[in-house]
Amino acid sequence: MNGFRRREVARRAFAYEINRSTYRFPREDEKSPAYVLTPLGVRVNRVFIVGALLDKEEIKPDSGIWRIRVSDPTSAIYGYVSRFQPDALESLMEIDVPELVAIVGKVRTFEVGARIFVSLRPEYVSPVESGVRDYWVYETAKHTIERIKAMERKEDEDVKLAWQIYNPNLDEYRAIVKQALLTLKGTIAEGEEEEEEIQGFEEEFEFEEEEWDLSDILKE
Amino acid sequence: MERVEELADQILSQFAGLGYEINRDEVIKRLKLLLYEFKVPESEAVRTVRNWIIKEYGIPREKVVEAPLVKIKDITKPGQWVSLKAKVVQIWDSTSPSVSQVGLIGDETGIIKFVIWAKSGKGEVEEGKCYLFKNVVTDSFQGRMQINVGRTSEIVEIDEDIQLPPREIEVIGALVAIQQNSGLIQRCEQCHRVMTKGICPIHGKVKGYDDLRVKGVLDDGENVYEIILNEGNIKDLTGIDLEKAKQIASERLDRNAVLSELKRILLGRYFKVAGVRGGRYLLVRRVEKILGVKADEVDKLLEVLA
Repeated sequence: MNGFRRREVARRAFAYEINRSTYRFPREDEKSPAYVLTPLGVRVNRVFIVGALLDKEEIKPDSGIWRIRVSDPTSAIYGYVSRFQPDALESLMEIDVPELVAIVGKVRTFEVGARIFVSLRPEYVSPVESGVRDYWVYETAKHTIERIKAMERKEDEDVKLAWQIYNPNLDEYRAIVKQALLTLKGTIAEGEEEEEEIQGFEEEFEFEEEEWDLSDILKE
Repeated sequence: MERVEELADQILSQFAGLGYEINRDEVIKRLKLLLYEFKVPESEAVRTVRNWIIKEYGIPREKVVEAPLVKIKDITKPGQWVSLKAKVVQIWDSTSPSVSQVGLIGDETGIIKFVIWAKSGKGEVEEGKCYLFKNVVTDSFQGRMQINVGRTSEIVEIDEDIQLPPREIEVIGALVAIQQNSGLIQRCEQCHRVMTKGICPIHGKVKGYDDLRVKGVLDDGENVYEIILNEGNIKDLTGIDLEKAKQIASERLDRNAVLSELKRILLGRYFKVAGVRGGRYLLVRRVEKILGVKADEVDKLLEVLA
């Protein structure tokens, strides 16, 4: 638009979908946002997530880089906060875990060996009330259902690409959405199989950060 | 032949209104030449003849250039001279000393950005009042249409209440950002602009008065809307009014404490905002906080999945 960049919309997606996003779009130029493609065919850069902040720890003493783990009803996602995100760092320091938080942040990917991992780079972290979480789950479920429908239609270019790259099982995503919605009703969600898979994913995710250069995820 | 005379009389009557008597035969002769000889379109012929009259009779340009009265929705091309009747919906902070005022005006057909250039020397407009913007130029900036008020333009306050577009939209979104120039701010007493560190961008170091506002971004996952909450909105949502804000600032010896407090209460929360969309702005008429989700809404989604 005449070289004028609009503010990026913050997409709504459950951590389950974001964690499985491994495809990075090549950047158009230095300043253009780095998008990843989710398995349900949406380009994501900025996201808005509401969930429980479960952990925060400095990856090395006095490094000023904090690793956080946030979980929504579907899955947990990791994030990194450093002095490059002063607003997020400031509020993070005042929060005692566990705490319900809203996070606006960018999705970043990094490679470990052959695997690509996803993390969040928060712009801010703000403690919120449970009503905000409830609305977020509802809204995110609504958006995810729309994406599932778009995947069924197979019209959009990004959707076609998502089929090609991920070939997702849409029923799996329907189950995830349902599980999330049921938590709102106070009903115990069935889905032990899912639970196992998430566990497995987290274990693999335990790693020593020092081995990689994190500057990519942390800087603009 | 009749058409030429008709056109000539139209032109003559315009100038007669300004107190000029123009030679009718000369006008007809010129029109005929342009229309029949050179096959120029009517509008071009009329414009050419009018220009010739202005030059020939030495008429001051701003006196005669009477741009056609248009509605905002009809402004689609840059570089057109138009006049319009509109209401000032919002005045923004001018970021440049060469701009006297910038903001949004609207009529019943739409909303458009306006820029009053400092060198135009035109008086300032006030939010909520209606004006006739005479002889302004349409322009395109960053892909959007706007109108520029320049030296030959005129702004006349009118005693009419112009209605804004009736189509009000309602957005439920999360407040994902609050801009730095929010909170307890100071405005210049003369022009009401927001001052930075006691300095007005136009009047320099002057006395200011306190005000409370939030400039933020509402995001519904599909679109972003820039919104401005005024003191009333902020009071409804947070219980903090101007007095309370001043109290917070003096207790903590920091005006920024108000912004921190507002961020703490508002950021990441959902709001339902009803208003009129103008460009990327959503002009707030009503705002309320979303406190949760209703069971039947959740049930509806579960049905879709079943």
